[in-house]
Amino acid sequence: MSESARRPPPAVSAVGLVAVALFAVPLAGLLSKVEWSTLVDDLSSAAAVDALRLSLVSSIGATAISVGLGLPLAWVLARANLRGRSFVRSLVLVPMVLPPVVGGVALLSAFSRTGLVGEPLYEWFGVQLTFTLWGAVLAEVFVAMPFFVITVEAAIRGFDSRYEDAAASLGARRWVTFGRVILPQIRPAVVAGAVLTWARALGEFGATITFAGNIAGRTQTLPLAVYLALEGRTSLALALSVVLLAVSLGVIVALRDRWLQRA
Amino acid sequence: MTPRSLAALLAAATLVALPACGDDTDSSESTDTTAAAEAATTTAAPELDGEIVVSAAASLTESFTELGEQFEAEHPGVTVTFNFDSSGTLATQIQSGAPADVFASADTTNMGKLADAGLLAGDAVTFARNRLAIVVKPGNPAGIDELDDLATAGIVSLCVETAPCGKYADQVLSAAGVVIPADKVTRGQNVKATLSAVADSDAVAGIVYTTDAQGADADTDEVEIPDADNALADYPIAAIKASAEPEAAAAFVEFVTGEAGQKVLSEAGFLQP
Repeated sequence: MSESARRPPPAVSAVGLVAVALFAVPLAGLLSKVEWSTLVDDLSSAAAVDALRLSLVSSIGATAISVGLGLPLAWVLARANLRGRSFVRSLVLVPMVLPPVVGGVALLSAFSRTGLVGEPLYEWFGVQLTFTLWGAVLAEVFVAMPFFVITVEAAIRGFDSRYEDAAASLGARRWVTFGRVILPQIRPAVVAGAVLTWARALGEFGATITFAGNIAGRTQTLPLAVYLALEGRTSLALALSVVLLAVSLGVIVALRDRWLQRA
Repeated sequence: MTPRSLAALLAAATLVALPACGDDTDSSESTDTTAAAEAATTTAAPELDGEIVVSAAASLTESFTELGEQFEAEHPGVTVTFNFDSSGTLATQIQSGAPADVFASADTTNMGKLADAGLLAGDAVTFARNRLAIVVKPGNPAGIDELDDLATAGIVSLCVETAPCGKYADQVLSAAGVVIPADKVTRGQNVKATLSAVADSDAVAGIVYTTDAQGADADTDEVEIPDADNALADYPIAAIKASAEPEAAAAFVEFVTGEAGQKVLSEAGFLQP
């Protein structure tokens, strides 16, 4: 009785179904166009292998950097008695809402050889980030790290601070408290944040092509290869798309416990 | 990076992000009055209205934007919306059913694809020609004087092979026997992106059309490629058969190939067909 009362009316379910179709139809379309017979050949072509390799290297590198920098930042945002914390948090969120290509333009303004930081970097150390794999990694960190920071910060804030107080009263130093008390409790969030960050880094397009350029074998990651293969080598574009789709599904399956079973 | 080139890049980014958001306001009411006014002042130009989408090569961005404004001024009932990208991208889009009323390509190959597929209304007409040029940083700090220098210059920006400017650049380089190492070539998805890699980023040099090299928003210097080594790009234009506004589309093609169109194009540095 009560269960049927809670059930949404049929019209709402119908609209919900339209929403589901909106997600499902493009994916079905993609799968319907893939030339499965040439899939292996397409994916083993030099261009595809290079793009796959670059994407793996850059996205894993970007994830490692995001974790290394993002964990301290998340801790600070969650626990430090910081003036302007909401400002810093907004700053961290900006890349999540900023069009990635604008992120690329911002990175250029800062890190190109004539940029704010890039100029001294090049003049003094001879370091150039544009058109390098490091540039691609930087672009990916810029757009993907917020996912890690936000996820982990929320977890730390949700963690009962009385455990930290208890650890401190027993003489544990702050490092020890973080490593032995907080971190084990928030590990699922750290893993989820890292996986989300990695997936976002893997899919990065706009900031990468703007900042790191499109050099085959050097900065041409999977999404760039997909976009550029779309004219002329459609089957390759579709094959690479399937790889990215498979990765996305893999991420969702990996995070299933976190997202799908909470309800 | 100067504010102006940054603004241009941002504007380009916005264009990419917002495809074809033309003004949809139905101007049928105002058309009567303006057409009446026009009939009183000018000699009976056929009364046109509707919205047309013109898919044009990226190298035509400035001149076609200008022509679009002139065309709209002449035909107040017509709204012209542009879709600028590499001719390869545009041809692929039109082949997969993207709405377009007019196609202006930077090569005959991509136009030929549409002609072969039976997508054109009538034959394509060549309305302009273009040549290639090397672009370098202002003041040419890398000292690039000829195609040969590109082999050892550093990062060189070329268009993707599927864009006409990339195809012509590859032709010109291989004819001159210049080989740039693959890991030194960044490929722009169209000529504007290729130019921007030199103007706004750290590519040492690039190969673009002379019209782009001389364009107002090019923060670069031009190094000419001698005629003997250069390529000549033919720009054909045609109305698309599937157009819902065939008369307005035909009128735009006529406008571009006519006196007003040719004036704007030669001012932008295009050669006469």
